Amino acid sequence: MKTANQPLLSLNGITKRFGALTAVNGVDLDVCPGEIVVIIGPSGSGKSTLLRSVNFLEEIDDGTIVFEGNEVGYVKNKHGRRHLDAPAKICALRSEIGMVFQHFNLFPHMTVLGNVMEGPLTVQKKSAEEARAIALDMLAKVGLSEKRDVYPATLSGGQKQRVAIARALAMRPKLMLFDEPTSALDPELIGEVFDTIRSLGKEGMTMIIVTHQMGFAKEMADRVIFMEAGSFVAQGTPEDFFANQMEHDRIKSFLTRIL
Amino acid sequence: MKVLYGRVLKTILLFSCLLLLLVPVAYGEDYDEIFSQANDAMASGDLPSAITLLNKIPVSKSDDNSAFVRSRMQIAKLHFALEDFAAASAAAQEVLDIYPQNSEAMNFMASVRQTQKPKYAVFFEDCLRFLPQLLKGAVMTITLVFCTILISPIGGLLIALGRLSSFKPVSGLCWFIIWLFRGTPLLLQLFFIYYGLPSLGITFKPFTAAVLGLGLNYSAYLGEIIRGGIQSIEHGQMEAAKAIGMTYWQAMRRVIIPQTYKRLMPPVGNEFIALIKDTALVSTIAMVELMRSADQMFNAYFNITALILAAIIYLLFTTFFTFIFEKIETRAGIYENR
Repeated sequence: MKTANQPLLSLNGITKRFGALTAVNGVDLDVCPGEIVVIIGPSGSGKSTLLRSVNFLEEIDDGTIVFEGNEVGYVKNKHGRRHLDAPAKICALRSEIGMVFQHFNLFPHMTVLGNVMEGPLTVQKKSAEEARAIALDMLAKVGLSEKRDVYPATLSGGQKQRVAIARALAMRPKLMLFDEPTSALDPELIGEVFDTIRSLGKEGMTMIIVTHQMGFAKEMADRVIFMEAGSFVAQGTPEDFFANQMEHDRIKSFLTRIL
Repeated sequence: MKVLYGRVLKTILLFSCLLLLLVPVAYGEDYDEIFSQANDAMASGDLPSAITLLNKIPVSKSDDNSAFVRSRMQIAKLHFALEDFAAASAAAQEVLDIYPQNSEAMNFMASVRQTQKPKYAVFFEDCLRFLPQLLKGAVMTITLVFCTILISPIGGLLIALGRLSSFKPVSGLCWFIIWLFRGTPLLLQLFFIYYGLPSLGITFKPFTAAVLGLGLNYSAYLGEIIRGGIQSIEHGQMEAAKAIGMTYWQAMRRVIIPQTYKRLMPPVGNEFIALIKDTALVSTIAMVELMRSADQMFNAYFNITALILAAIIYLLFTTFFTFIFEKIETRAGIYENR
């Protein structure tokens, strides 16, 4: 771990149920500033649900989320029932936590520049020139300045995902969440997206990344977590994880299938 | 003897006077006989014999309504029925030679001339006669369409957003509005607004009632179309918008609704073309629009040209709208072009 004074994000006993299914079962996780956490695990293990809970796209059933030392996102009503905080508060939190989706979810009716400008312009109410300057900066960062005036439909998958990263970065988030950012990409396009994430890591961005790319996990992660059936089964530094956790039967069988 | 002679003379004089009086009457009875024979011939379908019979009545200059005029006009009409327009004109002309001011003969000549004109010339004249009235009606139709097109997308969007609301009273109310206005005939709704509401103390001018009825009805239909459009946008779009910190309404306004435009154009275009024709229904609440104008012309002149013209004007409107909507659809989807 890089720094460890106060965690940027603390998850305590996060539980999310979909009817009878418990997708995330009492997960605890501390993420320190500048740390890169990679979560791996089979499909349906609750990785995505956990990540979406951090961004309040899923309303959790139990547990607390502590961001920058404050418990956030949920309040109790007068009957003692817990519910999501006021929309304005949730939106403010989300604008500090960037999220990148498996299927990019770019806004197809806006140009590349328009997509990246949208957050500063609409959410942060910045002027058009200011938003444009930020967006151009972010596009330069992901190496897509020359694509600024085209619509997303004309981009390759890798380019789309880099634009999506630029769109999230334009909000100047303190934490970035990546939900299988390369799973929808052709193998030869995965590299460019990881290059972008890698350069973010070098700048000290705090990130939680859900991925199936073990090579990337080994190279980039400060910590690798194996999740199964809604719980963390094992975690450790990449060296430790890939050297020692292999004796764990489930992890071994998962990794041998993946690698 | 002298007295007897005198009486005989008196009687003879009286008789001859009576005879003199009887002569014209007898002649008159003769003509009636001719007319009635001619009528029989006409009834049996033998028009040429009727003409021959009527021609027996000699030329007379006595007065306008004489048997002569009657007979010649009848001959003219019989020739007309036999489509012998030259003979028909000749018969009417015989009357005009003696009575140049006879109005029946003059009108007859005019209608013969009209008949002999080429069909397109007659149609053209009818068009000129009906167009001013029909165009007035068409302006009203377009005004109604325009007002409804201004109102119903706004109403439709509100109803659609209301239906999607998680707040039950709002979604319930919007469901009820759609249920009510889609479930009853537009004609009934117009009647209710114009004739029914006054009994509750709410009175509208015909135009207000028409716009209100059309606006509410089309809002309900567009509401469902817009809701479908919003729900057809991939869920990830809302999530991506929320992930950069947008509120629900910001996401709707900036991300979701703009993406529905292209998808909404074909069904909304359909609705608006239906609307152009549905405006004809407001003629039942004292509004004079295109259909009502055409109906008035048709009833006054019993001339089908009025209806044909109205159909052409409706087709011009619908064609124009189809064209406009295709253009908008292409424009709205420009970002999909690779």
